[in-house]
Amino acid sequence: MSREDEARLADRLAAGDPSAFRELVAAYQRKVYGLAYEMTRNHADAEDISQITFMKIHRAIGTIKPGYGLSTWIYQITHNAALDHIRKKPFFPREALTAIAPDRHAGEPADPAANPEQAAESSSLRRRIDGVLAKFSERERAVFVLRHYHDLKIKEIARALGVSLGSVKSYLFRSILKLQRELDEAGPAPDDGERP
Amino acid sequence: MNRCRRWQKRIPEAIYGELDAETRESMERHFAGCEGCAGLYHQMAEAVRKMEARPAPDRPPEYWDAYWDRLEARMAHDAAPARPRRAPAVRAWAYGTAGAILFLSLGIFIGRTFLRTRPELPPQAGTASTGTAPSGRPGLERGEGTAALAVRASRYLKRSRVLLLAVVNSDPKDEDPFKLNLPLQKKASEELLLEAAALRKGLGSSDPRLERLIADLEMILLQIANLTPDSDETDIEIIRAGVEGRDILFKINLNETVRPKQKAVAGLSPAWPGENRDPARIRTAAAA
Repeated sequence: MSREDEARLADRLAAGDPSAFRELVAAYQRKVYGLAYEMTRNHADAEDISQITFMKIHRAIGTIKPGYGLSTWIYQITHNAALDHIRKKPFFPREALTAIAPDRHAGEPADPAANPEQAAESSSLRRRIDGVLAKFSERERAVFVLRHYHDLKIKEIARALGVSLGSVKSYLFRSILKLQRELDEAGPAPDDGERP
Repeated sequence: MNRCRRWQKRIPEAIYGELDAETRESMERHFAGCEGCAGLYHQMAEAVRKMEARPAPDRPPEYWDAYWDRLEARMAHDAAPARPRRAPAVRAWAYGTAGAILFLSLGIFIGRTFLRTRPELPPQAGTASTGTAPSGRPGLERGEGTAALAVRASRYLKRSRVLLLAVVNSDPKDEDPFKLNLPLQKKASEELLLEAAALRKGLGSSDPRLERLIADLEMILLQIANLTPDSDETDIEIIRAGVEGRDILFKINLNETVRPKQKAVAGLSPAWPGENRDPARIRTAAAA
Protein backbone atom coordinates (compact mmCIF):
# COMPACT_ATOMS: atom_id res chain seq x y z
CA MET A 1 0.00 0.00 0.00
CA SER A 2 1.45 3.33 -1.08
CA ARG A 3 1.70 6.32 1.28
CA GLU A 4 -1.12 8.00 -0.60
CA ASP A 5 -3.41 4.95 -0.32
CA GLU A 6 -2.55 4.70 3.36
CA ALA A 7 -3.46 8.36 3.94
CA ARG A 8 -6.75 7.96 2.08
CA LEU A 9 -7.65 4.88 4.10
CA ALA A 10 -6.85 6.73 7.30
CA ASP A 11 -9.14 9.56 6.26
CA ARG A 12 -11.98 7.13 5.49
CA LEU A 13 -11.52 5.41 8.83
CA ALA A 14 -11.56 8.74 10.64
CA ALA A 15 -14.72 9.71 8.72
CA GLY A 16 -16.47 6.52 9.92
CA ASP A 17 -16.63 4.67 6.59
CA PRO A 18 -17.88 1.18 7.59
CA SER A 19 -16.09 -0.61 4.74
CA ALA A 20 -12.74 1.05 5.49
CA PHE A 21 -12.00 -1.17 8.46
CA ARG A 22 -12.43 -4.33 6.43
CA GLU A 23 -10.08 -2.91 3.80
CA LEU A 24 -7.57 -2.11 6.49
CA VAL A 25 -7.69 -5.68 7.78
CA ALA A 26 -7.23 -7.06 4.28
CA ALA A 27 -4.30 -4.74 3.65
CA TYR A 28 -2.47 -5.34 6.92
CA GLN A 29 -3.44 -8.81 8.10
CA ARG A 30 -0.29 -10.43 6.70
CA LYS A 31 1.99 -7.72 8.07
CA VAL A 32 0.41 -7.77 11.50
CA TYR A 33 0.45 -11.53 11.59
CA GLY A 34 4.05 -11.60 10.34
CA LEU A 35 5.35 -9.29 13.06
CA ALA A 36 3.38 -11.16 15.71
CA TYR A 37 4.77 -14.44 14.48
CA GLU A 38 8.35 -13.18 14.48
CA MET A 39 7.89 -11.99 18.04
CA THR A 40 6.40 -15.24 19.33
CA ARG A 41 7.38 -17.95 16.82
CA ASN A 42 4.02 -19.56 17.32
CA HIS A 43 1.14 -19.59 14.85
CA ALA A 44 -1.61 -19.76 17.48
CA ASP A 45 -0.09 -16.85 19.38
CA ALA A 46 0.36 -14.89 16.15
CA GLU A 47 -3.31 -15.43 15.27
CA ASP A 48 -4.39 -14.34 18.72
CA ILE A 49 -2.14 -11.26 18.72
CA SER A 50 -3.22 -10.22 15.25
CA GLN A 51 -6.90 -10.43 16.18
CA ILE A 52 -6.31 -8.49 19.38
CA THR A 53 -4.44 -5.88 17.36
CA PHE A 54 -7.29 -5.39 14.91
CA MET A 55 -9.83 -5.21 17.72
CA LYS A 56 -7.75 -2.51 19.40
CA ILE A 57 -7.52 -0.65 16.13
CA HIS A 58 -11.29 -0.90 15.70
CA ARG A 59 -11.88 0.54 19.15
CA ALA A 60 -9.37 3.34 18.55
CA ILE A 61 -10.47 4.37 15.07
CA GLY A 62 -11.80 7.64 16.43
CA THR A 63 -8.33 8.62 17.65
CA ILE A 64 -6.64 8.35 14.24
CA LYS A 65 -4.91 11.61 13.44
CA PRO A 66 -4.75 12.70 9.80
CA GLY A 67 -1.16 12.82 8.68
CA TYR A 68 0.08 10.37 11.29
CA GLY A 69 1.44 7.28 9.59
CA LEU A 70 -1.24 4.59 9.66
CA SER A 71 1.17 1.71 9.24
CA THR A 72 3.45 3.03 11.99
CA TRP A 73 0.46 3.20 14.29
CA ILE A 74 -0.62 -0.34 13.40
CA TYR A 75 2.88 -1.72 13.98
CA GLN A 76 3.03 0.09 17.30
CA ILE A 77 -0.20 -1.59 18.43
CA THR A 78 0.96 -4.95 17.12
CA HIS A 79 4.30 -4.72 18.87
CA ASN A 80 2.70 -3.74 22.17
CA ALA A 81 0.11 -6.51 21.87
CA ALA A 82 2.88 -9.03 21.17
CA LEU A 83 4.89 -7.85 24.16
CA ASP A 84 1.79 -8.05 26.37
CA HIS A 85 1.18 -11.55 25.12
CA ILE A 86 4.76 -12.61 25.79
CA ARG A 87 4.74 -11.06 29.27
CA LYS A 88 1.52 -12.87 30.15
CA LYS A 89 3.00 -16.19 29.20
CA PRO A 90 4.24 -17.94 32.34
CA PHE A 91 7.36 -19.30 30.68
CA PHE A 92 8.79 -18.32 27.35
CA PRO A 93 12.44 -19.37 27.29
CA ARG A 94 14.65 -18.35 24.44
CA GLU A 95 15.70 -21.99 24.08
CA ALA A 96 12.10 -22.84 23.31
CA LEU A 97 12.09 -20.31 20.50
CA THR A 98 15.20 -21.91 19.06
CA ALA A 99 13.69 -25.33 19.43
CA ILE A 100 10.45 -24.50 17.67
CA ALA A 101 12.08 -22.33 15.04
CA PRO A 102 12.58 -25.17 12.52
CA ASP A 103 8.80 -25.67 12.44
CA ARG A 104 8.31 -22.17 11.16
CA HIS A 105 8.56 -23.00 7.47
CA ALA A 106 7.32 -26.55 7.75
CA GLY A 107 4.22 -25.82 5.72
CA GLU A 108 5.98 -23.98 2.97
CA PRO A 109 6.62 -25.81 -0.25
CA ALA A 110 10.15 -25.96 -1.63
CA ASP A 111 10.96 -23.60 -4.44
CA PRO A 112 9.85 -25.54 -7.53
CA ALA A 113 12.31 -23.61 -9.70
CA ALA A 114 15.31 -24.74 -7.67
CA ASN A 115 16.96 -28.07 -8.18
CA PRO A 116 16.99 -30.51 -5.22
CA GLU A 117 20.53 -29.57 -4.20
CA GLN A 118 19.78 -25.87 -4.18
CA ALA A 119 16.50 -26.45 -2.36
CA ALA A 120 18.27 -28.42 0.37
CA GLU A 121 20.91 -25.74 0.76
CA SER A 122 18.31 -23.01 0.90
CA SER A 123 16.30 -24.94 3.49
CA SER A 124 19.38 -25.46 5.63
CA LEU A 125 20.30 -21.78 5.49
CA ARG A 126 16.75 -20.86 6.41
CA ARG A 127 16.91 -23.02 9.50
CA ARG A 128 20.21 -21.46 10.49
CA ILE A 129 18.74 -17.98 10.10
CA ASP A 130 15.76 -19.04 12.20
CA GLY A 131 18.15 -20.14 14.90
CA VAL A 132 19.99 -16.82 14.81
CA LEU A 133 16.80 -14.76 14.91
CA ALA A 134 15.63 -16.73 17.91
CA LYS A 135 18.75 -15.58 19.75
CA PHE A 136 17.97 -11.91 19.17
CA SER A 137 16.52 -9.89 22.00
CA GLU A 138 12.86 -8.88 21.61
CA ARG A 139 13.88 -5.34 20.69
CA GLU A 140 16.55 -6.45 18.21
CA ARG A 141 14.12 -8.84 16.57
CA ALA A 142 11.39 -6.23 16.31
CA VAL A 143 13.74 -3.64 14.80
CA PHE A 144 15.30 -6.08 12.35
CA VAL A 145 11.98 -7.58 11.25
CA LEU A 146 10.34 -4.19 10.77
CA ARG A 147 13.30 -2.96 8.74
CA HIS A 148 13.95 -6.10 6.74
CA TYR A 149 10.49 -7.58 6.13
CA HIS A 150 8.15 -4.64 6.59
CA ASP A 151 10.35 -2.05 4.95
CA LEU A 152 9.85 0.56 7.64
CA LYS A 153 12.35 3.41 7.70
CA ILE A 154 14.50 3.77 10.80
CA LYS A 155 12.53 6.88 11.73
CA GLU A 156 9.25 4.96 11.48
CA ILE A 157 10.60 2.07 13.53
CA ALA A 158 11.65 4.50 16.23
CA ARG A 159 8.13 5.93 16.30
CA ALA A 160 6.45 2.52 16.25
CA LEU A 161 8.56 1.11 19.07
CA GLY A 162 8.73 4.32 21.06
CA VAL A 163 12.54 4.49 21.13
CA SER A 164 15.09 6.97 19.89
CA LEU A 165 16.58 7.01 16.39
CA GLY A 166 20.02 6.24 17.80
CA SER A 167 18.67 3.21 19.65
CA VAL A 168 17.06 1.84 16.50
CA LYS A 169 20.32 2.29 14.56
CA SER A 170 22.20 0.58 17.33
CA TYR A 171 19.73 -2.35 17.53
CA LEU A 172 19.82 -2.74 13.76
CA PHE A 173 23.62 -2.70 13.62
CA ARG A 174 23.89 -5.26 16.42
CA SER A 175 21.29 -7.56 14.91
CA ILE A 176 22.95 -7.60 11.47
CA LEU A 177 26.36 -8.10 13.04
CA LYS A 178 25.03 -11.03 15.09
CA LEU A 179 23.46 -12.51 11.99
CA GLN A 180 26.70 -12.20 10.04
CA ARG A 181 28.86 -13.69 12.79
CA GLU A 182 26.51 -16.55 13.59
CA LEU A 183 26.11 -17.52 9.94
CA ASP A 184 29.86 -17.30 9.32
CA GLU A 185 30.62 -19.36 12.42
CA ALA A 186 28.10 -22.04 11.47
CA GLY A 187 29.63 -22.43 8.00
CA PRO A 188 27.86 -24.49 5.41
CA ALA A 189 25.02 -26.40 6.99
CA PRO A 190 25.15 -30.21 6.88
CA ASP A 191 22.48 -31.80 4.80
CA ASP A 192 20.28 -33.56 7.36
CA GLY A 193 18.08 -35.00 4.67
CA GLU A 194 14.98 -33.06 5.73
CA ARG A 195 12.92 -31.25 3.19
CA PRO A 196 10.54 -28.40 3.96
CA MET B 1 39.44 5.03 14.72
CA ASN B 2 36.50 7.18 15.77
CA ARG B 3 35.81 7.90 12.11
CA CYS B 4 35.73 4.17 11.41
CA ARG B 5 33.26 3.58 14.24
CA ARG B 6 31.06 6.40 13.00
CA TRP B 7 30.90 4.96 9.48
CA GLN B 8 30.52 1.38 10.68
CA LYS B 9 27.43 2.34 12.68
CA ARG B 10 25.87 3.65 9.50
CA ILE B 11 26.44 0.44 7.51
CA PRO B 12 22.83 -0.79 8.09
CA GLU B 13 21.50 2.47 6.68
CA ALA B 14 23.74 2.00 3.65
CA ILE B 15 22.62 -1.59 3.18
CA TYR B 16 18.92 -0.66 3.33
CA GLY B 17 19.38 2.46 1.19
CA GLU B 18 18.54 5.05 3.82
CA LEU B 19 21.58 7.25 3.23
CA ASP B 20 21.28 10.37 1.12
CA ALA B 21 23.57 10.65 -1.90
CA GLU B 22 26.06 12.98 -0.26
CA THR B 23 26.52 10.79 2.83
CA ARG B 24 26.77 7.72 0.65
CA GLU B 25 29.63 9.29 -1.34
CA SER B 26 31.47 10.23 1.84
CA MET B 27 31.12 6.68 3.12
CA GLU B 28 32.42 5.21 -0.12
CA ARG B 29 35.43 7.54 0.01
CA HIS B 30 36.20 6.30 3.52
CA PHE B 31 35.74 2.66 2.57
CA ALA B 32 38.08 3.13 -0.40
CA GLY B 33 40.90 3.93 1.99
CA CYS B 34 39.89 1.64 4.89
CA GLU B 35 39.98 -2.10 4.31
CA GLY B 36 38.53 -2.92 7.75
CA CYS B 37 35.36 -0.87 7.26
CA ALA B 38 34.95 -2.01 3.68
CA GLY B 39 35.32 -5.64 4.75
CA LEU B 40 32.75 -5.24 7.49
CA TYR B 41 30.32 -3.61 5.07
CA HIS B 42 30.61 -6.48 2.61
CA GLN B 43 30.23 -9.11 5.32
CA MET B 44 27.13 -7.48 6.75
CA ALA B 45 25.64 -6.89 3.33
CA GLU B 46 26.23 -10.54 2.50
CA ALA B 47 24.46 -11.61 5.71
CA VAL B 48 21.46 -9.47 4.78
CA ARG B 49 21.52 -10.91 1.28
CA LYS B 50 21.38 -14.41 2.75
CA MET B 51 18.10 -13.44 4.37
CA GLU B 52 16.57 -13.99 0.92
CA ALA B 53 16.60 -17.67 1.79
CA ARG B 54 14.12 -16.94 4.53
CA PRO B 55 10.96 -15.33 3.21
CA ALA B 56 8.54 -13.53 5.48
CA PRO B 57 6.29 -15.90 7.41
CA ASP B 58 3.02 -16.53 5.68
CA ARG B 59 0.06 -18.88 5.81
CA PRO B 60 -1.79 -20.72 3.04
CA PRO B 61 -4.38 -18.69 1.06
CA GLU B 62 -7.32 -20.50 2.68
CA TYR B 63 -6.13 -19.26 6.03
CA TRP B 64 -6.38 -15.66 4.84
CA ASP B 65 -9.70 -16.27 3.12
CA ALA B 66 -11.30 -17.10 6.46
CA TYR B 67 -9.38 -14.55 8.46
CA TRP B 68 -12.02 -11.82 8.34
CA ASP B 69 -14.80 -14.22 9.38
CA ARG B 70 -12.80 -15.39 12.40
CA LEU B 71 -11.98 -11.82 13.37
CA GLU B 72 -15.59 -10.69 12.97
CA ALA B 73 -16.84 -13.61 15.07
CA ARG B 74 -14.40 -12.80 17.83
CA MET B 75 -15.29 -9.12 17.79
CA ALA B 76 -18.98 -9.99 18.00
CA HIS B 77 -18.30 -12.37 20.89
CA ASP B 78 -16.21 -9.84 22.79
CA ALA B 79 -18.76 -7.11 22.18
CA ALA B 80 -21.65 -9.19 23.62
CA PRO B 81 -23.19 -7.12 26.43
CA ALA B 82 -24.02 -9.85 28.89
CA ARG B 83 -21.33 -12.21 29.93
CA PRO B 84 -22.75 -15.55 31.00
CA ARG B 85 -19.97 -15.91 33.53
CA ARG B 86 -21.22 -12.98 35.61
CA ALA B 87 -24.39 -14.59 36.91
CA PRO B 88 -22.79 -17.83 38.10
CA ALA B 89 -20.07 -15.79 39.76
CA VAL B 90 -22.67 -13.93 41.85
CA ARG B 91 -24.52 -17.12 42.59
CA ALA B 92 -21.33 -18.84 43.69
CA TRP B 93 -20.62 -15.96 46.02
CA ALA B 94 -24.12 -16.21 47.51
CA TYR B 95 -23.79 -19.94 47.94
CA GLY B 96 -20.46 -19.48 49.63
CA THR B 97 -21.87 -16.97 52.11
CA ALA B 98 -24.91 -19.09 52.85
CA GLY B 99 -22.71 -22.12 53.36
CA ALA B 100 -20.45 -20.24 55.73
CA ILE B 101 -23.43 -19.02 57.80
CA LEU B 102 -24.92 -22.51 57.91
CA PHE B 103 -21.59 -23.99 58.94
CA LEU B 104 -21.17 -21.38 61.66
CA SER B 105 -24.71 -21.95 62.96
CA LEU B 106 -24.17 -25.69 63.03
CA GLY B 107 -20.93 -25.22 64.94
CA ILE B 108 -22.61 -23.00 67.53
CA PHE B 109 -25.48 -25.47 67.92
CA ILE B 110 -23.15 -28.43 68.40
CA GLY B 111 -20.98 -26.48 70.76
CA ARG B 112 -23.89 -25.37 72.91
CA THR B 113 -25.71 -28.68 72.87
CA PHE B 114 -23.04 -31.34 73.08
CA LEU B 115 -19.79 -29.67 74.01
CA ARG B 116 -20.79 -27.49 76.92
CA THR B 117 -17.74 -25.75 78.20
CA ARG B 118 -16.88 -25.95 81.86
CA PRO B 119 -18.55 -23.34 84.00
CA GLU B 120 -16.79 -20.07 83.99
CA LEU B 121 -14.65 -19.79 87.03
CA PRO B 122 -15.43 -17.05 89.44
CA PRO B 123 -12.69 -14.55 89.94
CA GLN B 124 -10.26 -15.20 92.73
CA ALA B 125 -10.11 -12.97 95.74
CA GLY B 126 -7.05 -10.82 95.60
CA THR B 127 -7.22 -10.23 91.92
CA ALA B 128 -8.70 -6.86 92.49
CA SER B 129 -10.05 -6.13 89.05
CA THR B 130 -11.74 -9.50 88.66
CA GLY B 131 -13.05 -10.00 92.17
CA THR B 132 -16.36 -8.45 91.30
CA ALA B 133 -18.86 -9.50 88.71
CA PRO B 134 -19.91 -6.99 86.09
CA SER B 135 -23.05 -6.38 88.08
CA GLY B 136 -20.95 -5.27 91.01
CA ARG B 137 -21.74 -8.31 93.15
CA PRO B 138 -19.13 -10.89 94.10
CA GLY B 139 -19.13 -13.93 91.86
CA LEU B 140 -20.32 -16.28 94.58
CA GLU B 141 -23.48 -14.28 95.14
CA ARG B 142 -24.68 -15.04 91.65
CA GLY B 143 -25.63 -18.61 92.45
CA GLU B 144 -22.65 -20.40 90.97
CA GLY B 145 -22.65 -24.11 90.37
CA THR B 146 -21.52 -26.46 93.11
CA ALA B 147 -18.65 -27.74 90.99
CA ALA B 148 -17.26 -24.27 90.39
CA LEU B 149 -17.50 -23.51 94.09
CA ALA B 150 -15.67 -26.72 94.96
CA VAL B 151 -12.91 -25.86 92.55
CA ARG B 152 -12.59 -22.44 94.06
CA ALA B 153 -12.44 -23.91 97.53
CA SER B 154 -9.86 -26.41 96.40
CA ARG B 155 -7.67 -23.66 95.02
CA TYR B 156 -8.09 -21.70 98.20
CA LEU B 157 -7.02 -24.67 100.31
CA LYS B 158 -4.02 -25.46 98.15
CA ARG B 159 -2.83 -21.94 98.24
CA SER B 160 -3.30 -21.83 102.00
CA ARG B 161 -1.38 -25.07 102.38
CA VAL B 162 1.57 -23.67 100.47
CA LEU B 163 1.57 -20.59 102.63
CA LEU B 164 1.33 -22.56 105.90
CA LEU B 165 4.09 -24.95 104.87
CA ALA B 166 6.36 -22.04 104.13
CA VAL B 167 5.70 -20.54 107.56
CA VAL B 168 5.72 -23.61 109.76
CA ASN B 169 8.80 -25.14 108.14
CA SER B 170 10.94 -22.10 108.78
CA ASP B 171 13.51 -22.89 111.51
CA PRO B 172 13.99 -19.97 113.94
CA LYS B 173 17.29 -21.40 115.24
CA ASP B 174 18.98 -21.57 111.87
CA GLU B 175 17.55 -18.71 109.97
CA ASP B 176 15.83 -15.43 110.29
CA PRO B 177 12.08 -16.10 110.02
CA PHE B 178 11.68 -12.94 108.02
CA LYS B 179 13.76 -14.44 105.28
CA LEU B 180 10.42 -15.95 104.43
CA ASN B 181 9.73 -12.80 102.48
CA LEU B 182 7.23 -11.54 105.02
CA PRO B 183 5.58 -8.87 102.85
CA LEU B 184 4.71 -11.51 100.29
CA GLN B 185 3.35 -13.92 102.91
CA LYS B 186 1.28 -11.16 104.50
CA LYS B 187 -0.15 -10.15 101.17
CA ALA B 188 -1.03 -13.73 100.34
CA SER B 189 -2.71 -14.10 103.72
CA GLU B 190 -4.80 -11.03 103.14
CA GLU B 191 -5.91 -12.29 99.76
CA LEU B 192 -6.78 -15.68 101.19
CA LEU B 193 -8.77 -14.06 103.98
CA LEU B 194 -10.87 -12.25 101.42
CA GLU B 195 -11.33 -15.44 99.50
CA ALA B 196 -12.30 -17.30 102.69
CA ALA B 197 -15.02 -14.78 103.42
CA ALA B 198 -16.39 -15.15 99.92
CA LEU B 199 -16.26 -18.93 100.10
CA ARG B 200 -18.04 -19.11 103.43
CA LYS B 201 -20.76 -16.92 102.05
CA GLY B 202 -21.11 -19.11 98.96
CA LEU B 203 -21.01 -22.40 100.82
CA GLY B 204 -23.60 -21.48 103.42
CA SER B 205 -24.35 -24.63 105.39
CA SER B 206 -23.96 -27.01 102.45
CA ASP B 207 -20.57 -28.36 103.61
CA PRO B 208 -20.09 -27.93 107.39
CA ARG B 209 -16.71 -29.67 107.45
CA LEU B 210 -15.22 -27.43 104.78
CA GLU B 211 -16.77 -24.44 106.48
CA ARG B 212 -15.05 -25.34 109.75
CA LEU B 213 -11.75 -25.84 107.98
CA ILE B 214 -12.02 -22.44 106.36
CA ALA B 215 -12.84 -20.88 109.73
CA ASP B 216 -9.78 -22.53 111.32
CA LEU B 217 -7.62 -21.36 108.42
CA GLU B 218 -8.93 -17.85 108.82
CA MET B 219 -7.50 -17.71 112.34
CA ILE B 220 -4.06 -18.75 111.19
CA LEU B 221 -4.11 -16.52 108.10
CA LEU B 222 -5.12 -13.62 110.30
CA GLN B 223 -2.08 -14.24 112.50
CA ILE B 224 0.21 -14.33 109.48
CA ALA B 225 -1.36 -11.20 108.06
CA ASN B 226 -0.79 -9.41 111.37
CA LEU B 227 2.91 -10.24 111.61
CA THR B 228 5.01 -7.11 111.85
CA PRO B 229 8.71 -6.51 111.33
CA ASP B 230 9.02 -6.54 115.16
CA SER B 231 7.63 -10.05 115.42
CA ASP B 232 10.10 -12.69 116.55
CA GLU B 233 10.31 -16.46 116.44
CA THR B 234 7.73 -16.69 119.25
CA ASP B 235 5.05 -15.40 116.90
CA ILE B 236 6.04 -18.00 114.30
CA GLU B 237 5.96 -20.64 117.03
CA ILE B 238 2.41 -19.61 117.95
CA ILE B 239 1.32 -19.90 114.36
CA ARG B 240 2.97 -23.29 114.03
CA ALA B 241 1.25 -24.47 117.22
CA GLY B 242 -2.10 -23.32 115.86
CA VAL B 243 -1.57 -25.20 112.59
CA GLU B 244 -0.51 -28.37 114.39
CA GLY B 245 -3.11 -28.09 117.14
CA ARG B 246 -5.98 -27.86 114.69
CA ASP B 247 -4.48 -30.41 112.29
CA ILE B 248 -5.05 -27.95 109.52
CA LEU B 249 -2.61 -29.44 107.03
CA PHE B 250 -4.07 -32.88 107.61
CA LYS B 251 -7.60 -31.58 107.10
CA ILE B 252 -6.59 -29.85 103.89
CA ASN B 253 -5.08 -33.06 102.56
CA LEU B 254 -8.14 -34.99 103.63
CA ASN B 255 -10.40 -32.51 101.89
CA GLU B 256 -8.39 -32.86 98.70
CA THR B 257 -8.56 -36.63 98.89
CA VAL B 258 -12.33 -36.90 99.29
CA ARG B 259 -13.16 -34.38 96.53
CA PRO B 260 -11.24 -35.49 93.49
CA LYS B 261 -14.41 -35.97 91.47
CA GLN B 262 -15.47 -32.40 91.87
CA LYS B 263 -12.14 -31.27 90.48
CA ALA B 264 -12.45 -33.61 87.59
CA VAL B 265 -15.89 -32.27 86.79
CA ALA B 266 -14.52 -28.78 86.73
CA GLY B 267 -11.70 -29.92 84.44
CA LEU B 268 -8.97 -28.25 86.41
CA SER B 269 -5.46 -29.39 87.03
CA PRO B 270 -5.09 -30.41 90.64
CA ALA B 271 -2.02 -28.31 91.26
CA TRP B 272 -2.09 -24.69 92.28
CA PRO B 273 0.00 -22.66 89.85
CA GLY B 274 3.48 -22.42 91.19
CA GLU B 275 2.80 -24.86 94.00
CA ASN B 276 5.31 -27.39 92.84
CA ARG B 277 8.02 -24.80 92.79
CA ASP B 278 7.44 -23.72 96.34
CA PRO B 279 10.67 -24.42 98.25
CA ALA B 280 8.86 -25.02 101.55
CA ARG B 281 6.65 -27.67 100.01
CA ILE B 282 9.62 -29.31 98.40
CA ARG B 283 11.33 -29.34 101.73
CA THR B 284 8.28 -30.93 103.40
CA ALA B 285 8.02 -33.53 100.73
CA ALA B 286 11.67 -34.40 101.11
CA ALA B 287 11.30 -34.65 104.87
CA ALA B 288 8.29 -36.93 104.49
